[in-house]
Amino acid sequence: MSNKIGVYICHCGNNISEYVDVERVRDSIENEKGVHIARTTMFACADSAQTEIIDDIKDNALDGIVIASCSPKLHLQTFREVAKRAGLNPYNYVQVNIREQGSWAHSDDPEGATEKAISLVKAGIGRTRFSKSLEHFTISAKNSVLIIGAGIAGMRAAIELAEMGTRVYLIEREHFVGGRLSQWGVLCSLNETGKELISRIYKRLKELDNITLFTGAEVISKAGSSGNFEVEIKITPRHVKTKCDPEGLQKAIDACPVEVPDEFNFYLTNRKAIFKNFDSEFPEAPVINMENCNRCGECLKYCDSIDLDQKTEIIKLEIGAIQVCTGFDPYEPKEGEFGYKTIDNVITLQQLKRLVELNEKQLFLNGKQIHNIAFIYCVGSRQFGKINGNNQYCSRYCCTVAIHSSLIVGKKYNDISCLHFTRGVRTYGKQELIYDEASQKGDIFFHFDENSPPTVEKSGNKTIVKVNDVYTDQIELGVEADLVVLVSGMIPRKDNSVVAILKTPVGRDGFLNEIHPKLRPVETVIDGVFISGAAQGPKNIEETVNSTLSAASKVNALICNEEIKLEPTIATINEETCEWCGKCLEACPFNAISQITHNGKKIASIIETNCKGCGICTPVCPVDAIDIIGYTNVEIESMIIELAK
Amino acid sequence: MQEENKNREFDVLVIGGGIAGQESSLNLANMGLEVLLVEKDYSIGGKMIHLSKVFPTLDCSACIATPKISETARHPNITIFTYSEVKDIEKSGKKYIARVIKKPRYVKEELCSGCQECEFVCPVYVPDQYQYDLVGRKAVYVPFSLANPRVAAIDIDNCILCGACEKVCPTEAIDFTMEAEEIEIRFKAVIIATGFNLFDAHNKPQYGFGKFKNVVHSMQMERQLVPTRPFNAVLRPSDGKMPDNIAYVLCTGSRDKSVGNPLCSQVCCMYSIKQAQLLMGALPLADVTIYYINIRAFGKGFCEFYQQSKTMGVEFVKGKVAQITETENDNLIVRYEDIFEGKVKEAEHDLVVLAVGALPNPDVPDMFKNEKVELGEFKYVKQVDRFACPARTSMEGVFVSGTAAVPLDIPDSILSAGAASSEVNSYIKKLGI
Amino acid sequence: MTNPGPKILVFSTEKISDPAIDLAGLLKMHYQARAYTIIVPCSSAIKPRWVMFAFEQGFDGVFIAADGTDCPYDTACTDKTAQILTNTQKQMKERGIDPARLKMAAICSVCSEPFVKYIKSFSEYLSQNN
Repeated sequence: MSNKIGVYICHCGNNISEYVDVERVRDSIENEKGVHIARTTMFACADSAQTEIIDDIKDNALDGIVIASCSPKLHLQTFREVAKRAGLNPYNYVQVNIREQGSWAHSDDPEGATEKAISLVKAGIGRTRFSKSLEHFTISAKNSVLIIGAGIAGMRAAIELAEMGTRVYLIEREHFVGGRLSQWGVLCSLNETGKELISRIYKRLKELDNITLFTGAEVISKAGSSGNFEVEIKITPRHVKTKCDPEGLQKAIDACPVEVPDEFNFYLTNRKAIFKNFDSEFPEAPVINMENCNRCGECLKYCDSIDLDQKTEIIKLEIGAIQVCTGFDPYEPKEGEFGYKTIDNVITLQQLKRLVELNEKQLFLNGKQIHNIAFIYCVGSRQFGKINGNNQYCSRYCCTVAIHSSLIVGKKYNDISCLHFTRGVRTYGKQELIYDEASQKGDIFFHFDENSPPTVEKSGNKTIVKVNDVYTDQIELGVEADLVVLVSGMIPRKDNSVVAILKTPVGRDGFLNEIHPKLRPVETVIDGVFISGAAQGPKNIEETVNSTLSAASKVNALICNEEIKLEPTIATINEETCEWCGKCLEACPFNAISQITHNGKKIASIIETNCKGCGICTPVCPVDAIDIIGYTNVEIESMIIELAK
Repeated sequence: MQEENKNREFDVLVIGGGIAGQESSLNLANMGLEVLLVEKDYSIGGKMIHLSKVFPTLDCSACIATPKISETARHPNITIFTYSEVKDIEKSGKKYIARVIKKPRYVKEELCSGCQECEFVCPVYVPDQYQYDLVGRKAVYVPFSLANPRVAAIDIDNCILCGACEKVCPTEAIDFTMEAEEIEIRFKAVIIATGFNLFDAHNKPQYGFGKFKNVVHSMQMERQLVPTRPFNAVLRPSDGKMPDNIAYVLCTGSRDKSVGNPLCSQVCCMYSIKQAQLLMGALPLADVTIYYINIRAFGKGFCEFYQQSKTMGVEFVKGKVAQITETENDNLIVRYEDIFEGKVKEAEHDLVVLAVGALPNPDVPDMFKNEKVELGEFKYVKQVDRFACPARTSMEGVFVSGTAAVPLDIPDSILSAGAASSEVNSYIKKLGI
Repeated sequence: MTNPGPKILVFSTEKISDPAIDLAGLLKMHYQARAYTIIVPCSSAIKPRWVMFAFEQGFDGVFIAADGTDCPYDTACTDKTAQILTNTQKQMKERGIDPARLKMAAICSVCSEPFVKYIKSFSEYLSQNN
């Protein structure tokens, strides 16, 4: 409540006063109820004017201020600061826009503009009379983060956040770090391999003592809100305590009688129940997969750090923010899709990458040496026209990876030719150069459209790829291939337990959805939960790292001061009149309403940390028991009364 | 206040106030670092502020750009020097020293209220670079309606010094005696966010830009589609009629070794598809044909957006355009190789839009005094550890953000800018000074 | 004195439609001076009682400059604002007020031209149906 109000009408040079008679405005309002001082000023925003206002507030103990000038978008903050400097609560300041919505909009009608200005200023005074002093909510926040997924996205974010001073808990569902990248060989336009890059990053990560890494770990519950989450993490044991000596380990692995298809190599090979995917993998200790292990005890004879009795643990963490870096799954073609699983020499792009890693001098599949490869593009992506499936999106990395694989294969085994069946090559940006290089090398590119996809058929012991190529006037071509590689794209993680626990929305494509691709590209509607990397949608490595470091800066900005400031203009419940019906909760887009019992009555209560002050809950209340502070009935209606006069 | 500016300390110098520079500055400022943002133009906002709508969401560009611009301008940890240039940067111990030249705008920023009285009385009329020369402006002018700061400046090269503006200015903000000011800045790290240049369509003479009136480039079309557009309609330049058969020529200046740029500019396919969709809305009877080599609709929601444009009736012709010629009625004959049919064909259009690509900004290395930041093969700032630390350059403490390193679309520029801010903050924390 | 024309109350939104109304002024697009704006955070936060109160107090028309699909809070904002409109118009009918005196349109943050057009045509409607 303000009843000693100072009102200032700004000339804004002559921007306002040319059309609005500011002296008349002043004269018309100076006798309004509650007005203690009424002045005109040449430029309210000028330093000298600000000082004058501050002096007025102090000298007259004003408890409310109205400035009629430009749009509040320009100077609301400026004048709130003025109020603050004078010791007045900034929320007892009301700005009235008589320039953009006054003199300028009605420069054709000075009389109308002046009348309007008088009404608007009176409305502003009316509102100020009912304004309340408000303080920002400040809640304490933990400067610590849970990062889910220790692929390149999670590890890079972990390092950056740790170096910026945030405590990091990094959890990885697998028992080894590196995610998809450790399955990758030489990376496009670099001489480094995926696993070398991962090793380099892992070593940096281990040097930082404010990062705790849990492998075999999954988040199983989340409570709390931005700044103060509580999560439970389930940790599956690896059953190997420290790293074994390489010789003993090898003997233990050799001794293991269990053989299962190796998912790391996309089932091209088998592995044992005790395994490491490759020598330089981190953490260095191997793991025993107890779903595969038959507890025969053979391995125990060769390695004394094995413990088959380690138990699953559940730990609790308190953190300020969560960053989700759960990555993608490669699309696995359906049986029979371009001959996948029905023709023995049809494999996916991801399998080819492993095959190249596994074959040193010459490229073999199923004992047969490969001399030519046919790549079929957009498998599992851009599915429309006559191509079945619901993945309309482009997976963006696969054109480049397929062409780069062709270059790698050409360099590693010098007698292989490559044919590409594409739907328009998308080697955007600098990646264009490798497309050019492949063309120079002699690779041949065919182009098909969604209405005439190629077919893969077996003819005797030959595999034939047939296509209607647009370059050769739609004549059907048949090409024999030793190996057919299906350039399969990215799909969202099949295991979506993280989504279910964190309640982060997913888009139509099934990937995690940001709030806005440009304004808030790594933020979700759940405050304090950030997303990055290929979990958000297909991305190449550089794009993944850009997004993950971007998210890291947002995480750090949120919690680095160990407190979060919240706007005070949020919803408030009238405890007397509220008769809990749940309609406000239903309307709230932010889950900011809960049911409580107050004086033996069930009523709604605002979760201050979640409420954004949008007010969407207010019109749905059947008993009008909910209001936004600053937009209460008395404030709005006092303005309406003045404006209607 | 200006005296104070003569020798100042900051944590980070950000060069370039486009979308990348703003995003980097905001992130750094939100993490508690003190930032100086130097922008060579009169206003921050870069290229994005001049766009109509953005793909694939069709949000209006200004709706996204302006909140970010005002947040940047208002942030207590960010100081902005507009119309300023970095003269040189050199290392000094663990820190850097730069000399920044604040060029004179001949209007006192702190006094100007943006009322435009001066503009109304100025007798000089020259092409408006912010509208890509589609219309004219005065010699004293508020650069564009969404400029920040929204204050006037005098284009002294075209000013005839008549003094009319000085007489009419209600705040006495005009000052012809203003001189360039050199300010020395100390800081710990720098982010290069200098963006890209547009390919100059004159350099592809086969397409007749500058010779044929109805051949325009994509930014000129963009301005005609903006809500604050100059003519309030889409018009073809020769006779001011609404075009009804528009052609887009993709890869103008990109993927083209003959002009020295084999790279794909990454945005032209998508912005052309977007413009085509907007044109279908603005001119419901017009035909729009896009001549392309490959459509690069790779980002989130892009492929769906491309499909949508096909269902709206945008025609896509796979073919490289060899040459454009003009008819007597100012229409244009586009000569192209139809790849689907393997034949050289010709088609007549009444307006041709050249989808010009991105080129590196050549000003970057000149800013460095002794040690120079390395450029890559195509003169973009070289990223020395692209996959692990994408913002890192050849110089310690010097980082790159946005299209200064590689052509990028807006979402990717923003993410790259975010990455740079993270890398800079952790670098500064490690410096420990 | 000539008839000053109908009085219109405009509910605009802080982040989306109010900037458009500001821009209209900036570009000196003229519209009726008897259109007054009250800013709210979101167009889905407008209470029917405020609208009814405005009519009671003598406003001739109320215009909701809605967030539409640009709403920063809720993707369902368009529907929710439309629901408020429907509910309010029902109350208006009950009290014998022409429901067309309440109008809604989505105004994006640079939709100043549409805003001015809406206000002009709304004002015309209100004068004709006085």
